[in-house]
Amino acid sequence: MTINLKTTEAETREQRLGTIVQWEGGAAQLARDSAFTYGCARGCNNGGRRLCEATTPFSQASVCAETLAVTNATTIQDSVVIQHSPIGCAASQSITCRYSRDLAARRGWEVENPKSMCTNLVENDMVFGGIAALEEAIRAAWERHKPKIILVATSCATGVIGDDVDGVVQRMEAELGVTVVPLICEGFKFKHWSNGWDVIEHGILRRMVRKPTRRQEDLINVIHLGGPDVFTPLLAPMGLRVNLVMGINRLDRLAEMSEATATATMCFVLSYLAAGLEQEFGVPEIKAPLPYGLDATDEWLRDIARVTGRTDSVESVIAGERARIAPELARLRRALAGKKGFVAAGAAFAHGLIADLRELGVEVDSAYSFHHDPSTDSGDPRQDSLGYLVETSGDIPNFTVSPDQHFQVHAALKRAKPDFVICRHSGSTAVLAVRLGIPVLPIFYSNDGLGYEGLLTIGRAILRVLPRRRFCEDVAAHSTFPYQPWWLNQTNPFASI
Amino acid sequence: MSRSKTKQIAIYGKGGIGKSTTTSNISAALVQAGYKVMQFGCDPKTDSTNTLRGGEYIPSVLDLLRENSRVDAHQAIFQGFGGIYCVEAGGPQPGVGCAGRGIITAVQLLKQQNIFEELDLDFVIFDVLGDVVCGGFAVPIREGIAEHVFTISSADFMAIYAANNLFRGIQTYSNKGGALLGGVIANSINTDFQREILDDFVTRTRTQVVEYVPRSLTVTQSELQGKTTIEAAPHSEQAQVYRRLARRIAEHSESKVPSPLSQQELRAWSAGWADQLIEIERKAERLAIAS
Repeated sequence: MTINLKTTEAETREQRLGTIVQWEGGAAQLARDSAFTYGCARGCNNGGRRLCEATTPFSQASVCAETLAVTNATTIQDSVVIQHSPIGCAASQSITCRYSRDLAARRGWEVENPKSMCTNLVENDMVFGGIAALEEAIRAAWERHKPKIILVATSCATGVIGDDVDGVVQRMEAELGVTVVPLICEGFKFKHWSNGWDVIEHGILRRMVRKPTRRQEDLINVIHLGGPDVFTPLLAPMGLRVNLVMGINRLDRLAEMSEATATATMCFVLSYLAAGLEQEFGVPEIKAPLPYGLDATDEWLRDIARVTGRTDSVESVIAGERARIAPELARLRRALAGKKGFVAAGAAFAHGLIADLRELGVEVDSAYSFHHDPSTDSGDPRQDSLGYLVETSGDIPNFTVSPDQHFQVHAALKRAKPDFVICRHSGSTAVLAVRLGIPVLPIFYSNDGLGYEGLLTIGRAILRVLPRRRFCEDVAAHSTFPYQPWWLNQTNPFASI
Repeated sequence: MSRSKTKQIAIYGKGGIGKSTTTSNISAALVQAGYKVMQFGCDPKTDSTNTLRGGEYIPSVLDLLRENSRVDAHQAIFQGFGGIYCVEAGGPQPGVGCAGRGIITAVQLLKQQNIFEELDLDFVIFDVLGDVVCGGFAVPIREGIAEHVFTISSADFMAIYAANNLFRGIQTYSNKGGALLGGVIANSINTDFQREILDDFVTRTRTQVVEYVPRSLTVTQSELQGKTTIEAAPHSEQAQVYRRLARRIAEHSESKVPSPLSQQELRAWSAGWADQLIEIERKAERLAIAS
């Protein structure tokens, strides 16, 4: 599969990967039916069917892909982001400011307010075109902030009226002498918000990664969703320097990605950037299963060692780490024995968290994935994280694919009856679970479950939330849901409405 | 005449087919017959009402909206020949913005300010650009705007395709309180086979021809003076045709849902006519040789 960097617009995940957002069944079946080269590469021929996507009548709780692209653009240091949109599209920027400052603090960087603007399009701009407003905004951004880069994000409104954003970007670059990067992210084009990652990574690949002048043999790019650097402790002993990207970025770090010896990612949902770096600059992408659980982390480290030529030191790192965590891991397993967990997160990240829980001895028979990618941009079957999970730790009989719909989460949790819920984001799933009387561990910074230490981090955190059941039950006793009685008792998230 | 209800009419047709010419002559004929008329141009070129105002362009609703944060719709209304109220929706320059959105914005402004009721009009005639290309251009046929739609078509197949597209638009809105089809104004009809082609088309789509309007030099001469034929050549044969057309539109009361042809039917139908036209041409050649 080739990523097309000649156009300003990234092809959608739905088109490239066959991403779906609604499905219900067993994880084993979903993995078997997905479009990976699972069949031919693994010696069986029952894979790669076209997935039959389910439908629901509502879309209650989702987020726009534009928001995701803009958030990640805004956290690029020394940039100004211009949203070419009506002002409502920019509503999330106040939260992004807090997020950006927090990310910077966690990385030990200078904490600053990010710079963002909005063209604040109104009726006349829709009729006569918003190009003049955009030019004015770009000039204002340059005058006010003298940024190293300006990013221009489009919106549904400008997409529909066909504003020539590319033309403006080229004119403004010539006029001001600053790099201006268009991010084409009309929300209506995407079924799932994860497309926002591709949009920003497309912009990074096209305009922010420099042509390599040398190979930095000890540099490894690690793409993550934000949060503390849990990678350096694992990779530094192998003589690798971590270039942690996404989840807040510095332009110099992005520029030198092309010179790295490899790229790893903590979630294959973000692997557009890794695939692009391999395709354009020959920086190999680590395709081993993601480092969730002991064996997967071993294999991930071994693959990094193989690709970067450090096989001599890897086994001692693995042995050392395993030995280090063994006593506490045993204690956690004893404490969590007999517990049942429910995972709600996005695709590969959800698969990783399930692997962690099973490594900790927690039973997982139900899970909720916010979307499903039947393939990745590399098309390499080693990146089939769901297939790997099923193969190594068994099926998840109740596997729901849905983008965080309240009414479906309600039914899925009624069916699962877990002792706790572990979910990505602290939004709807977390609140809903508590209102059903179930303790929740929301994960905002998603590096918490990674590698050997991640098992301990997650295990400790679960033990912290389990005693909150009494509190959650009190909340549940005072909670009502806006559903008819028949739905309150429903346990099939896709029961026909 | 009754002033109880304004009759709202939309006239559509392919670009260059003679919509503005015909519409302006209808407006002129209606005003001469004693009606109060508004002509509302829905074309970014803002030239629908030119011949009603001596060739003069008027500022459009959207020009005013572009320059002012608050607009009194009266500022966009100008009187022309015989007191006809002339309004141009206006629109963006070619290639930018959204002309369809412009029509929505302009029509909404006049509706919100109750202009149609306030002026106590007998007729509002919307002169709408071309094909129904998007929702904006369909505004005049949606609920609460026009009641009757007439389409102008020549016997040219592209014009008929555009008319058929309009029929599809009307069908879409027909069960939602939208406008219905009054019929086809057959324009530039000078030969029998042109008349036959359009007659055949209206029969198949279950509508009617309201009037056959021949191509005439008088129209061109009048337009070059910046006038309608009704004004410039009131005693001409062509003016009589326009008066007859206006009378028919004024008398028209019951519009219907058309039965547009499917793409496949339209192709088959036009291919059938192509064969017949070749035969007519051959016959003419044979007659010429024989004589």
